[in-house]
Amino acid sequence: MRLLRDLGRRKLRSGLTITGIAIGIMALVVFGSMANKMNTLISGGSTYYKDKLVVTIGSQMSGNIQPLSIATVAEINKVDGVAIAVPGIEMLIGDSTGMSMGVPPMIAGILPGADRGLETFKMDVAQGRYLEISDAGSPVVVMGSDIAAKYHATIGGTVNLRGVDFKVVGILQPTLTAPDQEAIVPITEAQKLFVETLPPLVRSKLEPSEVATSITVYPKAGVSPETLKQRIDAAVPGYTVMTGKDFDAELGAIGSVFSAVLFGIALLSLAVGGLSTVNTMAMSVAERTREIGIKRAIGASRWRIRREIVAESAAIGLISGLLGLAIGAALTYLFNDMGRSSGNVLFLLTPQTAFTAIGFSTGLGALAGFVPAFGASRLDPVTALRYE
Amino acid sequence: MAILEGRNLRKTYRLSRRNTVEALKGVEISIESGEMVAIMGPSGSGKSTLMHILGLLHAPDPNHGPAPELYLAGENVATLSDNARTKIRARRMGFVFQDFNLVPTLTALENVLLACDYAGIRGKQAKQAGLDALALVGLADRADHKPAELSGGEQQRVAIARALVNKPEIILADEPTGNLDSDRSAEVLALFREFNREHGQTIVLVTHDSEVGEACDRVIRMRDGRIRDYGQRAAAATPVMAIPAVAATA
Repeated sequence: MRLLRDLGRRKLRSGLTITGIAIGIMALVVFGSMANKMNTLISGGSTYYKDKLVVTIGSQMSGNIQPLSIATVAEINKVDGVAIAVPGIEMLIGDSTGMSMGVPPMIAGILPGADRGLETFKMDVAQGRYLEISDAGSPVVVMGSDIAAKYHATIGGTVNLRGVDFKVVGILQPTLTAPDQEAIVPITEAQKLFVETLPPLVRSKLEPSEVATSITVYPKAGVSPETLKQRIDAAVPGYTVMTGKDFDAELGAIGSVFSAVLFGIALLSLAVGGLSTVNTMAMSVAERTREIGIKRAIGASRWRIRREIVAESAAIGLISGLLGLAIGAALTYLFNDMGRSSGNVLFLLTPQTAFTAIGFSTGLGALAGFVPAFGASRLDPVTALRYE
Repeated sequence: MAILEGRNLRKTYRLSRRNTVEALKGVEISIESGEMVAIMGPSGSGKSTLMHILGLLHAPDPNHGPAPELYLAGENVATLSDNARTKIRARRMGFVFQDFNLVPTLTALENVLLACDYAGIRGKQAKQAGLDALALVGLADRADHKPAELSGGEQQRVAIARALVNKPEIILADEPTGNLDSDRSAEVLALFREFNREHGQTIVLVTHDSEVGEACDRVIRMRDGRIRDYGQRAAAATPVMAIPAVAATA
């Protein structure tokens, strides 16, 4: 603990340096958690869309949800290579999501069992049960984990979705991706809600049971989604067909932006933190010139002097890292807690991010110590002893 | 037997491109094992430079004359690397300086243990040796005090304990009494005398102080980078005046 005693000699200076690096590490933790959340979200989507195609009118990613006729399902089912096409409703819970990052809270209308076991994306039920075929026509809902928290949903209780009370029959385990923000209801109920959102003129001409917003297409085994996309495009022109590859192309870019921001912050804290540590240690070395002279005179090797200084510098980094991580973790927890009610769960602090942050700052500290350490180890003991 | 023997010891310091100082101009010296020797001379006579070379803090200049030789217990150490010289300093030599030169953040005991650590002795063995060394200089009860909490005389005694702790073959002291009043000087000198007499500790002191010189077995006098007088070794029985015997335990 001599090391800490040495750091404590100049409390203000050590404290300022540590604070400076801690702020950088905090930013790293917060943005890293945000990037984690984004990337899990995207990779969850990527997994979901990998083995299927989704047919819509216009791009659903833009949030512009258009009705399509359920008759299209039958047409797509006739396309060669299609195992089964399943209609579904995807709609926003609120009319306006406001500023929202990630996935907004959604209502998903599904036909339970219609995928005939082809759906590979598994969602586990934390409490209650998942929707069943017999639920058709009943106002029941299975809540995603985040949205369940937002609505304080309990099994057997009710939640109000767009003015209609739904009985909660199940709450899902967190998936860390889109379904966490979904209220999953039988398609019959979603159709009724969706039609209500349409302009009166359109609404009057539509029978709710004939409306869907998307059709999920499961290819037969051995049929590539890309080939099937071409066939569907040819069979039912005018629709947007999205494959897993399309999804990755569209959202992969967002992931890269986050990674770039993160890299930028890391670089910035590297420069700022590194230089201020070099400065702190260089000043410490200058102040301790005589002391280094004594140590060298009574038999400390150059290597030993270097080691002491690098260790002290690494300790600055380690303490900064722990401090930055603590603040960053507290902030992400707080923001997530605050954001949960509005559906903005933006941060995911993984052990990997935490260890990276600590490792990064400790390594940075050690690295910054090398320059002053080499200077100190090259001091001539006699000259250093005479230093005033 | 000579513990330290040097020949052709030269040292030139380059202060700037044109300005060099010939601090040692070819010195021959022999220190016997068990001797307590003072090196005296006016400022700039080269006495400190000689001590730095004898203490392996600096290497003698190899150029511009016959090859320098420096034997420590018969082994030529004149051309050793910095690393090898550092090891010898750690294990076989003890140093005492004018300004005490303790590490301010460490306690008296920790300062003494630094020397053990550098010599490769750690743990319980080191701690016991450190406490023994502090007891020898009469500071057993000050082991946990920081230098700032000790008087100048006490600090210098801690430094002496640090120099002694590894039972070195030779102790080199550069103006060890230079910053002490005459009572403290006498105490410190008495300590040296005691270790020399009772443990046969070889001690080389560089000093201005003629009283220190008188307390030694022999005085080597330097002037202008050369030794002018090697001095006569006093008979072992010569009583040393003005050194209170109780000083060591004061």
